[in-house]
Amino acid sequence: MSIVPKETVEVIAQSIGISHFSTDAALALAPDVEYRIREIMQEAIKCMRHSRRTTLTTDDVDEALKLRNVEPVYGFASGGPLRFRRAIGYRDLFYLDDKDVEFKEVIEAPLPRAPLDTSIVCHWLAIEGVQPVIPENAPVQAIAAPSNGTNNEQKDGLPVEIKLPVKHILSRELQLYFDKITELAVSRSDSVLFKQALVSLATDSGLHPLVPYFTYFVADEVSRGLNNYSLLFALMRVVWNLLQNPHIQIEPYLHQLMPSVVTCLVAKRLGNRLADNHWELRDFTAKLVAAICKRYGHVYNTLQTRLTKTLLNALLDPKRALTQHYGAVQGLAALGPNVVRLLLLPNLGPYLSLLEPEMLLEKQKNEVKRHEAWRVYGALLVRLPFLFSPLP
Amino acid sequence: MDELQVVEFVATYLKKKGFSEAENALQAEIQRNKSSNNTNPIDILNDPELSKFFRTFSESEDGPARYQDEYSKLRSWTYSSLDLYKHELLHVLYPVFIHCFMDLVAKGHIQEARTFFNNFREDHEMMHLRDLQKLEGVLSPSHLEEMEFAHSLRHSKVNIKICQVLYLFLFTSLHQNTYIVKKSNHCQSFYQYSYELLLQYLHKTQSTKMLGIINERINFQVSPGQPSSISDDAEIVTLIGSNQDAANQINQKEVHWGLLEDSLENRLEKTGLISDSEKAEGENKEAEIDENKKRPVEGGKQGASIKKLKKDKAINATAKTSRLEANTVSTAPRVKPDLALPVMPTEVEQSILEDLRNRVHLSSAALPSVSFYTFINTHNGLNCASISQDGSLVAGGFSDSSLKVWDMAKLGQQAVSSGLQGENDTTPREDIIGPNGRKRSYTLYQGHSGPVYSASFSPLGDFILSSSADTTIRLWSTKLNANLVCYKGHNYPVWDVQFNPQGHYFASSSHDRTARIWSMDRIQPLRIMAGHLSDVDCVRWHINCNYIATGSSDKTVRLWDVSSGECVRIFIGHRSMILSLAMSPDGRYMASGDEDGTIMMWDLASGRCVTPLMGHTSCVWTLAYSCEGSLLASGSADCTVKLWDVTTSTKVLKTEEKSGTNRLRSLKTLPTKSTPVYSLQFSRRNLLFAAGALSKTS
Repeated sequence: MSIVPKETVEVIAQSIGISHFSTDAALALAPDVEYRIREIMQEAIKCMRHSRRTTLTTDDVDEALKLRNVEPVYGFASGGPLRFRRAIGYRDLFYLDDKDVEFKEVIEAPLPRAPLDTSIVCHWLAIEGVQPVIPENAPVQAIAAPSNGTNNEQKDGLPVEIKLPVKHILSRELQLYFDKITELAVSRSDSVLFKQALVSLATDSGLHPLVPYFTYFVADEVSRGLNNYSLLFALMRVVWNLLQNPHIQIEPYLHQLMPSVVTCLVAKRLGNRLADNHWELRDFTAKLVAAICKRYGHVYNTLQTRLTKTLLNALLDPKRALTQHYGAVQGLAALGPNVVRLLLLPNLGPYLSLLEPEMLLEKQKNEVKRHEAWRVYGALLVRLPFLFSPLP
Repeated sequence: MDELQVVEFVATYLKKKGFSEAENALQAEIQRNKSSNNTNPIDILNDPELSKFFRTFSESEDGPARYQDEYSKLRSWTYSSLDLYKHELLHVLYPVFIHCFMDLVAKGHIQEARTFFNNFREDHEMMHLRDLQKLEGVLSPSHLEEMEFAHSLRHSKVNIKICQVLYLFLFTSLHQNTYIVKKSNHCQSFYQYSYELLLQYLHKTQSTKMLGIINERINFQVSPGQPSSISDDAEIVTLIGSNQDAANQINQKEVHWGLLEDSLENRLEKTGLISDSEKAEGENKEAEIDENKKRPVEGGKQGASIKKLKKDKAINATAKTSRLEANTVSTAPRVKPDLALPVMPTEVEQSILEDLRNRVHLSSAALPSVSFYTFINTHNGLNCASISQDGSLVAGGFSDSSLKVWDMAKLGQQAVSSGLQGENDTTPREDIIGPNGRKRSYTLYQGHSGPVYSASFSPLGDFILSSSADTTIRLWSTKLNANLVCYKGHNYPVWDVQFNPQGHYFASSSHDRTARIWSMDRIQPLRIMAGHLSDVDCVRWHINCNYIATGSSDKTVRLWDVSSGECVRIFIGHRSMILSLAMSPDGRYMASGDEDGTIMMWDLASGRCVTPLMGHTSCVWTLAYSCEGSLLASGSADCTVKLWDVTTSTKVLKTEEKSGTNRLRSLKTLPTKSTPVYSLQFSRRNLLFAAGALSKTS
């Protein structure tokens, strides 16, 4: 009838030296014990609220006991919330996990460092109602859909001013920053300044509002500038550094970003001159793709499958150029040994038979094509060294 | 059966059942009737049906199982009733439920009471969780007597409003043969449909226990018209110990909510406006520069302050035009102060006037800037935070009995010189300077012998009051850095203390269920406000200094007249303990926030709730109105500052008084980085300061 069983009362009675304690007395006491406990807890909750906390501590209980003119329970003070463990075999029995401490260790241990003193730091939570993007503020969520706010109010029947779809307003500083970065990426991607800019992209905390603009910029420039090798490389480095930034949530924009990245991996031509080392770009992009898959694969579970499908298609289509094959091999290989084992290896035999004639001087007259074929072969060799015996 | 017989019969019945109170009440009633010869409000004696009931009462056996049985029948009947009447009938269920439980306990059927309670508690948990938690522990008849809440419930009647339906002729024809109660003189000619339904049901099913409880514990107030909508009846959900009638009566008293006659605002209206337009431009720049100086911590963020400067100018341009046309403050009536208020030195007055002239005009379109003071390394010890009017001083009360005051101007200089820019950098700084006996960044006030629960700055920032669990209030001077006075008077921890808006006087509230008014020069309180049924948790002064408002754990807010010490308003509607209060600067409205995150805005004149504000998910620690009263800011344990639009919602109220469900618009939610917001303060220039302790989520 009471949550305090009579056995508890009996045990406590024994522990304080009352040997003959009748069951009736225990039965009568049990409900009263529960009532007193509840009373104390009610007072303790008041103390907790006035200490501006939402978790009850032993101090609150002590204060509550003092309020009731009861001697507080000594020896249970704790700085933080108590950590309870569940007793094995019971559903609702908990205990405090007190570790045994060696006296010797305690005595010999150096004095602990004094705790840090309380201090105040000051920052702008909002300026004219807008939260500045600084590390002291909570990170801004991806631009919230404006719909739910207005809908709620309309239900109330208030004459609500209906707002136009929220215009995303960029601060002047961010606009300048964006302009500067894009200008550097387009025209001066080999300068030291661009390197600095990339570092800033990878570390600055306030860039989140710019992410959609960067994605759009990358997609736009990639589709227009496929024959500009240095631009493409610069863009991929921008993407790479954005991915590194811990303050940015890039997930909502991945679907816009992936096509341009994959393009840089398996496009037929990247750059317009022979001298352009598009192989390097493909290698770099393969790494980038792998990094994206590794980080966001669990969020978008279709990401990797879609990607491998695209790459495999590119590889197994004999009509595609060898450069595309190369990109596909690199991309697949970068995704890890599992992908290699499941997707690349089974298709290797047919593919090699396709590739072999391209590599031989007598079959393929075109110098460039032969070179490309050798590159693909080289890539396979590097990625799957254990498979190849020396060529005949 | 003649009259006397019935009375005798009823009296013996009541005696038999142990309803001594009811018996006394009956006797008193009879006495009164005899003397005044009035007609009885309930026409028991002439109603044959009723006496039949009483007979069945006495015959029925007293089994505890009947309670369970009848209550569950009543419940299922209520739930299956027409939607139109359902929620009115549902209100009846709760008092019936708790009284069933208490009756069972009183009769000693503890086991049955427990099962009964657990079976049906879920129905009421949403509305009455806290009360249920209290009652749950009641396990013996002696607890009922001891526990104040239960005691007051058992000795007072619950008032329930119930509607009467206009289609009365239809119903009379339908229910011609049914039992009809004529409730009170002025509505004799009406039939109360919900009420009638209920009685009819009880009659039919012979639920004598339920009828007994309803007769004994519930007082029906019949209101004309349609069944009230759900939102209207906030009052019904709180069971208060004192009679509801008393509360209503109290709320009839007159409240002069107007502003003080000779306030600075007033003077500004007269003198300021003429020169305003010419002066504003020049002063503006100065003001901005001043403000930038005040806050050198922000020195690194030049971009931000420059932007602010520009925007402020723009705002000021718009403000100038709007200031002339709409000033809510100026429309408020003026009253004389009842207290002898201190006189301000002229130079202070000048600076305040200056501030008022340069005030940024806030509205739903122009939101305030918020400067946030984060306490770090508090080790869970910070109990309260307080910010001075101008935001230059910040005080923190700690559970280790200390009060610490930071001068933000000095802190800024230090920070710049040592290159401190963020919380992460504190560790090396402590290392370098700590061992050299570096001066603390704050002034430490020691004197209390218990956790400090509240601190309040005087309007000019030269004094601080602190209240503590050691039952004392201490007055400290920020100029001398010393304790001046210790005010002893409360018998229990003092939860809150608050300076008068004009200084000199202050109010305190305590666990001893009183609020007290003090003046700085006397060590005895000037007034003691008693009346709350539980701890008085927070206290605020009305803007004209003639009233104080107190919020309590009994879930009510009361307004007290300072000069007479009388309670002039009771605001009923909250569902849990009240933690924060704020008064609008025009003196017309008051906002109160509770433990569940609900904020309610009240009209002081009528004593009614203007709008409930839903949005916070945890305790509302603090509330603040902007200086012209257009915005309400609230800070909560859910780590957000919310800004609410006051002006639009009050306008709506004026045009369509009975819209009922309207809510204040939430304009903006400003989340902090896991820092619950303890304190909010609008400066005279409408800059919002907020403070809180960083709590790591581990």
